[in-house]
Amino acid sequence: MITIKHEGCIFCVGCSSVCPKNAIEADGTRMKFYPERCIDCGLCVKVCPAGVICLKKDKKEGEQ
Amino acid sequence: MSKYDMIIIGAGPAGSTMARIAAQGGMEVLVVDKRKELGIPVRCGEGLGAREVIAQDLDIPKQCISTDIFGAKVVAPNGKSIEWKDDTTTGWVLERKFFDKWLAEKAVEKGAKIHSYTRATDLIMENGKIAGVNLSHGGKEPYQAYAPLIVSAEGMESMIARKAGFNTVHQLYDVDTCYQYEMKEYDHENLIELYFGNDIAPRGYVWIFPKGDKRANVGIGIGGLLTNGDKNGIPGADPKILLDKFIKNNEQLKDASTLMDFGGVISVGAPIDEFVRDNFLVVGTAAKQVDPIHGGGIALAMEAGVMAAGVALDAHAKKDYSKEVLMPYQVKWKETSGKKVAKRLLLRKVMEKVTDDDLNHIFNTITDKDLNEVMEGNFAGPVAKVVGGRPQLLAALSGLVAGKK
Repeated sequence: MITIKHEGCIFCVGCSSVCPKNAIEADGTRMKFYPERCIDCGLCVKVCPAGVICLKKDKKEGEQ
Repeated sequence: MSKYDMIIIGAGPAGSTMARIAAQGGMEVLVVDKRKELGIPVRCGEGLGAREVIAQDLDIPKQCISTDIFGAKVVAPNGKSIEWKDDTTTGWVLERKFFDKWLAEKAVEKGAKIHSYTRATDLIMENGKIAGVNLSHGGKEPYQAYAPLIVSAEGMESMIARKAGFNTVHQLYDVDTCYQYEMKEYDHENLIELYFGNDIAPRGYVWIFPKGDKRANVGIGIGGLLTNGDKNGIPGADPKILLDKFIKNNEQLKDASTLMDFGGVISVGAPIDEFVRDNFLVVGTAAKQVDPIHGGGIALAMEAGVMAAGVALDAHAKKDYSKEVLMPYQVKWKETSGKKVAKRLLLRKVMEKVTDDDLNHIFNTITDKDLNEVMEGNFAGPVAKVVGGRPQLLAALSGLVAGKK
């Protein structure tokens, strides 16, 4: 499960461009995450230029 | 319920160009853009070559142009640089936030309708065919809009194109992840500056794009597969760390201010295989029509927008929006821009295999003229020169010559 720290997001949509499952979409002025589609692949974490996405494999609750 | 001849998703350079020409030709065009204000956020270096704009007979107003560019300076890992300059303007660094809006306004002036802050949420299918899109203004309840032709000019995200069956997902190998500051003050000579080296920017480079009033876009792009940062236990590319290091080591920049932080992910791979299907086409960065060497997409998007508008008008005249009628756009693009992009991709893949030491040798051997040849896609001469002094590079560089058509 990923979490996005929205306050640091620069809205570049890089995460959604590499997401193989359409689990992150741009919604108006922020990125919207669909947890049920996420497969924990971590591609969005690797590519995020702002470093605001993190992946937690063990926990499912809220933002860090 | 609203009906149009064509609905374009995305009011960037591709979408607005296509809308302008199609509307001028008599089509009823709706362009939607998810952003609250067109042109914002800026996600790129803002460079644009002069040729494409002149070819379209566009007179870009002053406020869209930050500064004129007269040439480029390319710097090797050891600091040696090659410079080429022209007496006339070879391009501009734009103010994208004004440029995108102006291009959109041009489309409106020709009769297109644009809706900002409006997101296409899904395709509408009727009898198995694409018939329209669901649109949502500011996240409100979606409404339907119908058109026999839907265009994805969505840029990197390309979510609707995916829903239409196009494989627009990017592989990590085929993206560069970028970070950029707008900085001041930086004394420049109106040259694009590019800094190479595996310590500076692995599989990429640092760029300094001059802007007006002693400003500059200082950015970095590195391969998406590379790892130099630790993101909560996940290794990942962190371009900001490397960019900050470059700035700290640069005499002029280390004390300069930052006026804006921005970043993004750039497509540097091959275009998608197909751009068209019945009632749908993909144009610009959504179709990965991006230069794999410098990651520039504005010029290619505008070129493709012109070609796509051509087939849209043809389809409109024939009242036939089938894949066959739209196909000439794809064929023409692959024969023209596509050839150029393919050569650049080859060059990018070869560059990846070259060490800093090799790069230093290459920069020592070639001249500004050679560099120009390389950028034009004529590799044979410069490769022969480089390999002559360092035969061990033959294996890495031979692909450029063998792959040359």
